[in-house]
Amino acid sequence: MITSLQLHLSKVFLKIFLRDIQSMIFNIFFPLAFIAAFMFSGSGSESINIGVIDNASNISSKNFTDLIKRDPLFEVTQGSEINLKEQLLSGEQVAIIVVPESFDYTEGTNELKLLLDASQVRQISQIRTAIENSLLSVERKLSNTEPMFSLKVEDFKARPQRYVDFLLPGLLAFMLMNLSLGGSGFNIVEYRRRGILKRLFVTPIEPKDFITSIVLARMMIVVIQLSAVLGFAILLLGVRIEGSLFSLYGMIMLSTFIFLCLGFCFGSLAKTQEAIRPLVTSFTFPQLILSGVFFPISSLPDIIQPIAQFLPLSVVVTGLRNIALDGISLFTLDASIFGVIVWAVLSFFLATKYFVWKEVAG
Amino acid sequence: MNIIEVKDLQKSYLRPENKNESFNAVDGISFNIKAKEIYGILGPNGAGKTTTLEMLEGLKDINSGTAMIDGIDVKKHPYKVKKIIGVQLQANEYFDKLDLSELLILFGKLYSEDIDYMDLLEKVGLSDKVKAKPKQLSGGQKQRFSIACALVNNPKILFLDEPTTGLDPQAKRNLWKLVKELNHLGMTIVLTTHNMEEAEYLCDRIAIMDGGKIIAEDTPQELINKHAPEPSDLPLQGNIEDVFLTLTGHNLRD
Repeated sequence: MITSLQLHLSKVFLKIFLRDIQSMIFNIFFPLAFIAAFMFSGSGSESINIGVIDNASNISSKNFTDLIKRDPLFEVTQGSEINLKEQLLSGEQVAIIVVPESFDYTEGTNELKLLLDASQVRQISQIRTAIENSLLSVERKLSNTEPMFSLKVEDFKARPQRYVDFLLPGLLAFMLMNLSLGGSGFNIVEYRRRGILKRLFVTPIEPKDFITSIVLARMMIVVIQLSAVLGFAILLLGVRIEGSLFSLYGMIMLSTFIFLCLGFCFGSLAKTQEAIRPLVTSFTFPQLILSGVFFPISSLPDIIQPIAQFLPLSVVVTGLRNIALDGISLFTLDASIFGVIVWAVLSFFLATKYFVWKEVAG
Repeated sequence: MNIIEVKDLQKSYLRPENKNESFNAVDGISFNIKAKEIYGILGPNGAGKTTTLEMLEGLKDINSGTAMIDGIDVKKHPYKVKKIIGVQLQANEYFDKLDLSELLILFGKLYSEDIDYMDLLEKVGLSDKVKAKPKQLSGGQKQRFSIACALVNNPKILFLDEPTTGLDPQAKRNLWKLVKELNHLGMTIVLTTHNMEEAEYLCDRIAIMDGGKIIAEDTPQELINKHAPEPSDLPLQGNIEDVFLTLTGHNLRD
């Protein structure tokens, strides 16, 4: 299937790409730095800083404050009103609970005041709910009543819940998209500008030999670079891959193929280096936001979701995530894997249609 | 025996300044080239020399007319033609990260041939540059290297597009010597140039092109006999440059 010419050419391209040490390093630097940032941000959720102003200073208020302090959800600072309000303004505290002078929980309902910074609109309702829940459990303890229900959370998939586990497949997908588009589209434009394509075209080489070789060599490069990032995440961050490595790499190769083909289309459409940059950016940038690289597609506005989920990067991200987090196999009848196959066929069709030697070679 | 036969070759383009109008870059030219001949196409910039060459090399589509190279129709079998010709383009750039030996091996593979790169580099006088990158070569060395690349398939016909443009006199003479040597080995050579001295020194026959047409074709000496200004006009009989200017006029070309 692969001729000896294609094999030799692939080796030559691999050699060319590997000798470009600078770009090899820069291509993995960003994802590595990004993942490393999550190494230190730690797993588990961070506690919320709240301040308590105890205006009552009696036994009741002391008991209450102690119980609030025991809640792992909060990092409680007790202090004077002036100090804490300053901290609230500077963002050190997220909220302040003001215990009134007349505080006494043995006597009816006590009104507590909650001071918030209204600029943190998104957090207000969550903080309020968290504090209300905490107050409820404090109340039970103080009044010695047993809670009627207890909720034990258990993930039935028993998978790791850290953000870095969620992020890694998205980051790998984004990385392989950029590497592939750069490795085909930008290369073509550069080779054309310098007349290298023209020089190749006067030899009996055919477009399919040329494309096959670049695709093979680029796939190797992507696998090498992604393996570096993946190895880093697995060894140093303890990220677990639920699915088989065969499925994961199969998916990576298939996805690389999609973006290499699309890159050839862009390289054929854009005639200059100046033209290909905005063309590729207008393709990659929306997908960075819409394809669920950093947060799930389901968190996007409802109106965008139906479109977003069919984008090439979306199906790739979802596919990789399903393999890495849910352990599905490449041969599972899964919508995302089906989507990736459809895009592979479509992009291959587009690439062969748009890549015409005479026009591309210029 | 003719190794190249060109008949009514034509190529038109849309005018860049007015897309509704087309013009003939090559306007129905015919010529024959004999085997083992050095044939020069001489003309000012924009005369259609490179377009003619690129049609023969299968780089550009032929609009009308025919071109037969060693009995093969270029229009019908461009890949067959590509196998028996060697081409040096006007601009020759190569992959930066490969050295000369790797590039020659690569070009050999494109013709499915295992080549002796040292032999080729010796032929063009670059055997000491085997591990150099193309970027590290001087202008003359680069041109000689691109001839080495054009020789990997031991071609019957070698096309050289302005091979000495931009070279200093030493590099130019050196390249002429190489072209003569290759010709003595039996290679047919077709070259374009606007260097009169080069055409006169190297070529067995010259076609002078202007405005997409061949306006004169003959041996250098015959062209001088026919077209050079009369002795009464100038104390000397003139040279090919005088012929050229008489035929194509003195207007500046872009």
